[in-house]
Amino acid sequence: MLDASTRPAAVTLRDIWKVFDGVPVLRGIDFELRAGEVHALLGGNGSGKSTTVKIITGAYRPTEGRIEVMGKLASFARPSEAHARGIYMVPQEPQIFPSLSVLENLTMGLAGDAASNEARARALADEIGLSVDFAATGGSISIANQQLVEIVRGLMRNAKVLILDEPTSSLTRREVNSLALQMRALTARGIAILFISHRLDEVLEFSDRVSVLRDGSFVLSAPVAGLTPEGLIEAMLPSDLGQAGAARPARPALTGDSAPVLELRGLSGRAFRDVSLTLRPGEVVGLAGVVGSGRTELAEAIFGIDPEVTGEVWIGGQQVTARTPRRCMEMGLAYLPEDRHAHGIFLELPAAQTISASALALGQRALLSRRREEDFAQGFIGRLRIKLTSAQQVARTLSGGNQQKVVLAKALALNPRAVILDEPTRGIDASARQDVYRIIRELTDAGVGVLVISSEMAEIAQLADRVLVMKRGVLSRLGDGAQSLEQISAAAFDAPGRATDTQNPAVPS
Amino acid sequence: MMRIVKSREFLVLALLVTMILAVSTVNKAVLYPITLINIVNSSLFLMLLTVGQMFVILTRGIDVSVGAIAGLSAVIFGFALNAGAPLPLAMLAALATGAVAGMVNGLGVVLIGVPPIIMTLSTLGIYRGLMRVLTGGSWIEQVPPSIKSLAVTRVYSVPVMVWVVLAVVIVTAVLMARIRAARWFYAVGDNRDGAFLLGINAAATEFAAYAFSGLFAGMAAVVFVAQIGFVPMQTGSGQELKAIAAVVLGGVSLMGGTGRIWSAVVGALFLTAVDSMMIFLKVPGSWNNAVAGAVLLSVVIADYLIRRSLRNRQAVARAAEMRGADGPTMRMTEARS
Repeated sequence: MLDASTRPAAVTLRDIWKVFDGVPVLRGIDFELRAGEVHALLGGNGSGKSTTVKIITGAYRPTEGRIEVMGKLASFARPSEAHARGIYMVPQEPQIFPSLSVLENLTMGLAGDAASNEARARALADEIGLSVDFAATGGSISIANQQLVEIVRGLMRNAKVLILDEPTSSLTRREVNSLALQMRALTARGIAILFISHRLDEVLEFSDRVSVLRDGSFVLSAPVAGLTPEGLIEAMLPSDLGQAGAARPARPALTGDSAPVLELRGLSGRAFRDVSLTLRPGEVVGLAGVVGSGRTELAEAIFGIDPEVTGEVWIGGQQVTARTPRRCMEMGLAYLPEDRHAHGIFLELPAAQTISASALALGQRALLSRRREEDFAQGFIGRLRIKLTSAQQVARTLSGGNQQKVVLAKALALNPRAVILDEPTRGIDASARQDVYRIIRELTDAGVGVLVISSEMAEIAQLADRVLVMKRGVLSRLGDGAQSLEQISAAAFDAPGRATDTQNPAVPS
Repeated sequence: MMRIVKSREFLVLALLVTMILAVSTVNKAVLYPITLINIVNSSLFLMLLTVGQMFVILTRGIDVSVGAIAGLSAVIFGFALNAGAPLPLAMLAALATGAVAGMVNGLGVVLIGVPPIIMTLSTLGIYRGLMRVLTGGSWIEQVPPSIKSLAVTRVYSVPVMVWVVLAVVIVTAVLMARIRAARWFYAVGDNRDGAFLLGINAAATEFAAYAFSGLFAGMAAVVFVAQIGFVPMQTGSGQELKAIAAVVLGGVSLMGGTGRIWSAVVGALFLTAVDSMMIFLKVPGSWNNAVAGAVLLSVVIADYLIRRSLRNRQAVARAAEMRGADGPTMRMTEARS
């Protein structure tokens, strides 16, 4: 292998700043991606990883700083300008034309005559190992092949830099192995690959160098030799984790014999297998897992949104078959969805109407009373400290944190005995986050069981009485008291040999 | 071969033949060549509207103003002829009227971002109103007979209009297959973000679709005036919905990205044939719309059910494959050592 330091730089970032609404997301980063290397980019939520990628691909302009491509200054107003300079991104979800043929997918938008484009597409597809019927529609080929279609598209545009965003997240083992070979073939042609992944074993296996972002700065940038999964995790974790861990007040030991408010027995669905767990009154169970681990699919299956599930769900000591969201709510289970805009809030309606929506949906009265609705909403606005001018303020005009509290109020309006919170603090500011944590504590004090799903390991460590880790659809349990941030992260980020699997379900081979 | 047989156009064409054969058991006259030619002849107006509509629907838009555009173009055509303009010039005026009216739709949708249904619903009102204002609400009757003779001239006993529209359709189909930018209509409708990322000018593509829709409505106006010899106020009224129905019937997805000229042609032929069959079955004309609507609904539902069962079978097969291959059989680290 060539000595990495002698290769020319393909993309160089110098002192790049990106500021959103006065909040710096990138704080003067320096970064070098060299020709012919696979360079892994790591970082947790909010580390600035996706902002960095968007700046390289022309989706964002940096607030300050210089971008150089092949040693020349560059400035991109849109992605097609980055294409013209040889930078091509393969998004996590390939941008395929599902109804057009594979050939059309490969050659769409290219200049030059059709015959020579097709010949080139075929040659490159052979070289990369994309062996599908070129007349098949884009939507009918596997995700792995759709990704290869994207890679060939990039090569057709003479890409010198390929950015692969979580390319392995929806691939099978076999497909990951062959992608690794393809990445090597590409670097042998002098192409630079920026490789983004949550899977530390793959990062260490496939990359030449690794850079880790934390809070908008690079905290590590080194050749892969000598790095360990533990070292990477340590670099990714926030530096103030000591205080975060200490913030959790000592709680009286929960009596093991109180009847569970939520119990899963051998639940299997599209993205998870044989999940069993119990949630007792007044308990916070943390479910840690990276994006794509199957945690949201699990929550949606419990709440009856996805009916294609086997196994049992018990709410308040009763088995609930033929689950629908309505049935679950009637049984006393509430669910805070991950994507509040798409699934949680009525953006164009007054906040009071979102808050009262679930209570109204299950209510018995036929007629609405504006005043009763207002009083009802005011109760939650006070309790959750929602900041708004009036209960009639339209939700769209609220801050993210207050929108999240409105959605939380809607879930709590039913007086649930168990609550599933999926990423309850995503995209909200620090003080709203503390409010959410306080609300969770109040709920548990009142005897409600809370299942918190989060990809932020620090949040899980701070909130949870017990921690479960979901990884590629399989749940593993961390022993009681063994929930240090490092252990949770190691298990969730798939560091080899670190997860303390005490529950290893039978898996069809 | 199987691809053609499985296509929606083939399904509709087969239904069309079945329907005609079935009606022929009641009334033999339906199989006379002259009858079949007449069906094609009376479908020409709708066919042109439908082909134009297809461009818009390919890009995931919709144009409900095509009937009104045809009406307005017919009025301009009639005015030009009555003012003594030579036929080619009058035709050009009609086509230009249609194209400009379509471009206005395109500008509203692309430049200002008005949702297509709102934009074209508004221009539907505007163009129909303009028609009334220009004519003072009365029909244009004294169209020169020269134009009417166009419609009665026959070549190989087929009206010359049929040949002309056939030529237009074939030329359009060839251009669609040959011109690179024609693929952009599909790309933009199938995945607008993806098209943008590949450097395709999505806005210009959408604009062109509305302009073509208007242009074809202008052509339809010329055919219409030639066939009936005057311009009634109702010209094109209600035809926009028929054009959309025909496009859908032919297999063009309202979600954009799929469809061929073929689909539009077959859809328009079928809807026209349904009307004719009613006459041969001596069903009162008041039933026409109800029957056409029922036919459209049944074809679309049947097609949906067929496709869903196909898709389910594929999904089950793929899930089984995933499960077999995705077991944690081998870790990467082990694979290396």
